[in-house]
Amino acid sequence: MVRDLFRLSLRNIRHRGLRSWLTVIGILIGTAAVVALISIGQGLQRAIAVQVERTVGYNTILITSRGLNLGQRIRLDIEAIRAIPGVRNAIAVRVETAYVEGPGGKGFLGVLGYDPAMAEFVAEMNLSLASGRGLQASGEVLLGSRTARALGAGVGDEVAIEGRRFTVVGILQAQRAGGFATGGLSLLDLLVISLPELRELFPGPELVQYAVARLNERADMAAVRAQIQEHLRAVGERNAQITDFEDLTKSIQSMIRGVQAFLAGIAGIALLVGGVGVMNTMYTAVLERVREIGILKAIGAKDSHVLLLFLFESGLMGLAGGVLGLVLGYGVAWVATLIVSRLFQAHGAFSPALSPALVLGALFFSFLVGAVAGLFPAYRAARLPPVDALRYE
Amino acid sequence: MTAALVELQGVRKVYRLGEVEVPALRGVDLRVAGRDFLALMGPSGSGKSTLLHILGLLDRPTAGKVLWAGEDVTKLDGGRLAELRGRRIGFVFQMFNLVPNLTALENVELPLIFLGLPPRERRRRAEEALMRLGLGDRLRHRPNQLSGGQQQRVALARALVTDPALLIADEPTGNLDSATGREILGIFADLNKQGRTIVLATHDPEAAEVAKVRLRLRDGQIVERT
Repeated sequence: MVRDLFRLSLRNIRHRGLRSWLTVIGILIGTAAVVALISIGQGLQRAIAVQVERTVGYNTILITSRGLNLGQRIRLDIEAIRAIPGVRNAIAVRVETAYVEGPGGKGFLGVLGYDPAMAEFVAEMNLSLASGRGLQASGEVLLGSRTARALGAGVGDEVAIEGRRFTVVGILQAQRAGGFATGGLSLLDLLVISLPELRELFPGPELVQYAVARLNERADMAAVRAQIQEHLRAVGERNAQITDFEDLTKSIQSMIRGVQAFLAGIAGIALLVGGVGVMNTMYTAVLERVREIGILKAIGAKDSHVLLLFLFESGLMGLAGGVLGLVLGYGVAWVATLIVSRLFQAHGAFSPALSPALVLGALFFSFLVGAVAGLFPAYRAARLPPVDALRYE
Repeated sequence: MTAALVELQGVRKVYRLGEVEVPALRGVDLRVAGRDFLALMGPSGSGKSTLLHILGLLDRPTAGKVLWAGEDVTKLDGGRLAELRGRRIGFVFQMFNLVPNLTALENVELPLIFLGLPPRERRRRAEEALMRLGLGDRLRHRPNQLSGGQQQRVALARALVTDPALLIADEPTGNLDSATGREILGIFADLNKQGRTIVLATHDPEAAEVAKVRLRLRDGQIVERT
């Protein structure tokens, strides 16, 4: 019987054609707005998670000066950090400013000390070569592409760093510097020599821009952090900050969630307005069909049958708006992310996410809004005394 | 004397129009037995329709008793009354009162939906009822595709499909030309011959002639019985 009432409701919705569509559109817009905003937000969260996972991984700890200020150097012994149980690998990025002379130019330039341990971080540091080969022996240097031009040097030429002669064995690829990897220092403008040689050239205390430690799969993040803290205290470094990427991602994501909740709230109001539209339509539907309600009652319909009939109608209209809104909202989200990606040239890392929870939630809520909006008109319809309803013109 | 199907005892009905109380029925006693065919006659406002509504459980009396098979139904709740209407009573109205966006067949199936019959059984019985009224070729037509007489026959099929104990008709020929009206009245007469109990209200003397008993109402009271 419920199925039959359901079918009757469908018939009634179709029968009222344009008016039903206008009502559905009200719900549609609200749902579309909610879905678009949430799927963009979730897409953003996922993109950040993927980015962090791909470039650094969650099992990574960053040691910098306070406030993630990479211009401020800190004191630490990278060997001691490597020795901490649970740490699989660690590198320190140390860049010194040196006076450099080349065949066609000279000046003060940044020199990075390369540590074989950095091999694991190469991708993140963008240390790939445009020409030549990597460092193999002492007395060898790699040049950033802009540095090579400034010094007028190519592979095979010699450059002098603080008066000591180095042979150019490779030129680095002219890639954009990835944020964390080089600590804001563009590889284009750097020279790279081996870390021991950098230490020889600058024998003072070891000060680094930052250090990165990667942990074993099952390492205890908190314990490792505590040991690093202890090491920093031991070497007298008070201005350091330890960040793990889980923290960072979490704080960024919670921020995104906050913004998203706010926007979804606004969109929710749109959905509510759609609900008022349904209520209006259902109310006129009741007024128009008072006589029909009387007939149904005369031939044996109970109040509950009439109530269900009208509730199905309003709920179905809500659901229809929900389905269409879901499709439209996802489409809008796609276009929006495409535009954003173009604007910020973030290649394909970011697309809207449509989680099952969002799909089900959107459908459920649009149905609910429709049904609740229909509740009062349906109740009115059901309570009409049959004889009055029949007499109604 | 056969047992009463429905019995009205001292039924009064007062409508309230704002401050004014308008009496529609002023103490009506009526007994409808199985196989009866009663015609209620009288001018507009004499209380015919009110009496039919109370008899058909669409309305409650202000005072008095309505006994269905000996049981007082005036105090039953709306759900129980709806069930009794669906099971025991068939209505035919002057305006046909078909549901406009349903086909003839679907209109006739409606009361069976509320009785909770399975779809196949419903379809079979609805088709049968329409066929018996000569509408076998109009099953899929909507009311606006049917003539007045055809619509009234669909309404009759809908009233009869539940095999009700009592058929109530309120001016069933009022909206039809006289030839079509006579045709419908013929159907009523046949139904009664087959044993159907009928109460109809009319102010058409010709319609009243087909009934076995005529009751004349005036000012909410039965004044004559012929």
